[in-house]
Amino acid sequence: MTAGDATVSTVEAPHDAGADGEEALAGLRRQAQHLIAELAGPVRRIRLRSGPAVLEVEWHPEELTRTDVPAGVVEAAAGPPAAPVRPAVPGRAAVRAPIVGTFYRASEPGAKPFVAVGDLVRPGQPVAIVEAMKLMNEVTADRAGRVVAILVEDGHPVEYDQPLVELDPA
Amino acid sequence: MFETVLIANRGEIALRVLRACKELGVRTAVVYSAADADSAAVRLADQAVRIGPASSRRSYLNAAAIVEAARQVGAQAVHPGYGFLSEDADFAEICVDNGLTFIGPPPSVMAALADKSSARALMSRAGLPLSPGSVAPVPTAAAAAEVAAAVGYPVIVKAAAGGGGRGMTVVRTPGELRRAYTRTRAAAQAAFGDDRVYVERYLTEARHVEVQVLCDSHGNGVHLGTRDCSVQRRHQKLVEEAPAPALSAAVLDTIAEAALRGALAVGFVGAGTLEFLVDAEEKFHFLEINCRIQVEHPVTEMVTGIDLVHEQLHIAAGVPLRWRQEEIRLHGVAVECRVNTEDPARDFTPTPGRLERFTPPGGPFTRVDTHASAGYLVGPWYDSLLAKVIVWAPDRELALNRLERALDEFDIAGPGVHTTIPFVRRVLDDAAFRKGRYTTGLVDRLLAAPEAASAQRPAATPAPRPASAAEPDTTLRRTR
Repeated sequence: MTAGDATVSTVEAPHDAGADGEEALAGLRRQAQHLIAELAGPVRRIRLRSGPAVLEVEWHPEELTRTDVPAGVVEAAAGPPAAPVRPAVPGRAAVRAPIVGTFYRASEPGAKPFVAVGDLVRPGQPVAIVEAMKLMNEVTADRAGRVVAILVEDGHPVEYDQPLVELDPA
Repeated sequence: MFETVLIANRGEIALRVLRACKELGVRTAVVYSAADADSAAVRLADQAVRIGPASSRRSYLNAAAIVEAARQVGAQAVHPGYGFLSEDADFAEICVDNGLTFIGPPPSVMAALADKSSARALMSRAGLPLSPGSVAPVPTAAAAAEVAAAVGYPVIVKAAAGGGGRGMTVVRTPGELRRAYTRTRAAAQAAFGDDRVYVERYLTEARHVEVQVLCDSHGNGVHLGTRDCSVQRRHQKLVEEAPAPALSAAVLDTIAEAALRGALAVGFVGAGTLEFLVDAEEKFHFLEINCRIQVEHPVTEMVTGIDLVHEQLHIAAGVPLRWRQEEIRLHGVAVECRVNTEDPARDFTPTPGRLERFTPPGGPFTRVDTHASAGYLVGPWYDSLLAKVIVWAPDRELALNRLERALDEFDIAGPGVHTTIPFVRRVLDDAAFRKGRYTTGLVDRLLAAPEAASAQRPAATPAPRPASAAEPDTTLRRTR
């Protein structure tokens, strides 16, 4: 996650929570308590839902919790804007950003990146995430090919249509 | 003052805001769509963020992308310009929720005023005269007919959520009312997602007079006099001037003071405009209030010497008003005309294309606000406003001569490109206009005149107007 950003964790309640709404909610509450106990920072928002049961906890990472600056400002100050690792090679195929936002190579911090240089990708395969307004937008390959380069550093801002992952079409 | 402001618009107004920021030492960032990559604003801004494709729905109307861009550039404030998201209370709220200052009124005030019906009720409570009609939305065609019968025909059916000249139907006889009512509701539902409409008396021979106000966040306000915007075609303004001509000074003062009272009563903050219709007896009726900088703001700047965008920025930064009412003095007359890439001979159909030649006028007291230059491609995606020519002179006669002189100098040419300049010339030539004795009926009268008829080529199918661009251009009649 980017510095200062509120962090979101979503957990689906176990199926055995039962069809009974009360019981499902109780299950969600227990899960929330566990989660909150493990969090490294103050909770900002909790959302429980008992329909297709969902639990969402949003918190601020501890080291970045400041009371004097709004969260958005801290984040904005972090990292140079839209800095590519290296410029895209003109004319070479690349998977591009579908929206302006923050580029991530993996589905969550610490997870294995979607793709690495040398990987073969199929059309429709997820290759990255661009986060905009706390929504994770999966970026998928529009063609088959071998990954030649990752053009943006993890956690850096990207613009609409910016080349992200360069492909050598298969 | 802010360190960085994000400009969430395009075209001439993006450039206008950018210039104001630079003059105040504010770092500028602009958002742009894939169609505007080569724009003057992108070239001149300290930073530019590409937020989406040409389609405005996915770029200039995409609140999430704009807020992301603001975070990327480290902006503290967002200037929305006019059109697009400038009067969207939800967008203003999203900005505030993300720690950004929205340069405009508080979201709650915007929401209350964006609804024309609620704005009418609020202004009526503040003591402003309304045109006769319903204050609350009319729920049925029968109720609409009752209101219409009470106020007398012609009436105008207006969408509560409409704006920028969209969402209204004029009804001349009782027989047309039911159909117009149903149609306006359906069209309003489609265009604004809100089908509430109200009915008011339609004044055919009236002047459209508006008042510019500035209100700070500390409860202070001033007015900057009047503008006349009666030269309209289907509720789209073509020529504007300040101050409103041929009305008595006492009436102009009364309207301006009433407008300021209304703005302060509703907790307005920022630069705003209250629109009125003034009838032949100089009686005035509140129409609506606009919560944004307006296309025609330069005429007010020219007669007051006050930069309205500077003031917007100061107010948004929390600075108390820098002007007292007695310090605001009107000097001379300013006139603006809009140069749109439209063909007046073909029902003002937009004529996009590449500008092979583009040389704007110059000379004393002549201001041209434009984003265009030679080689510029006028795309089909946004509205057709290409340039505004604004002139100032000590008196109205000289100002009109100066505008004619400026338009003589304006050289615009490109394959298929037409502009509204020939039509504006006809307005400037019109005897009633010259005397300052004109009403909102002027354009229709000119269009019906023999010169227009003979000049008219066979009517081609009017091209669909591009989706909401700068000040929305599409009337419901067009979208049908």
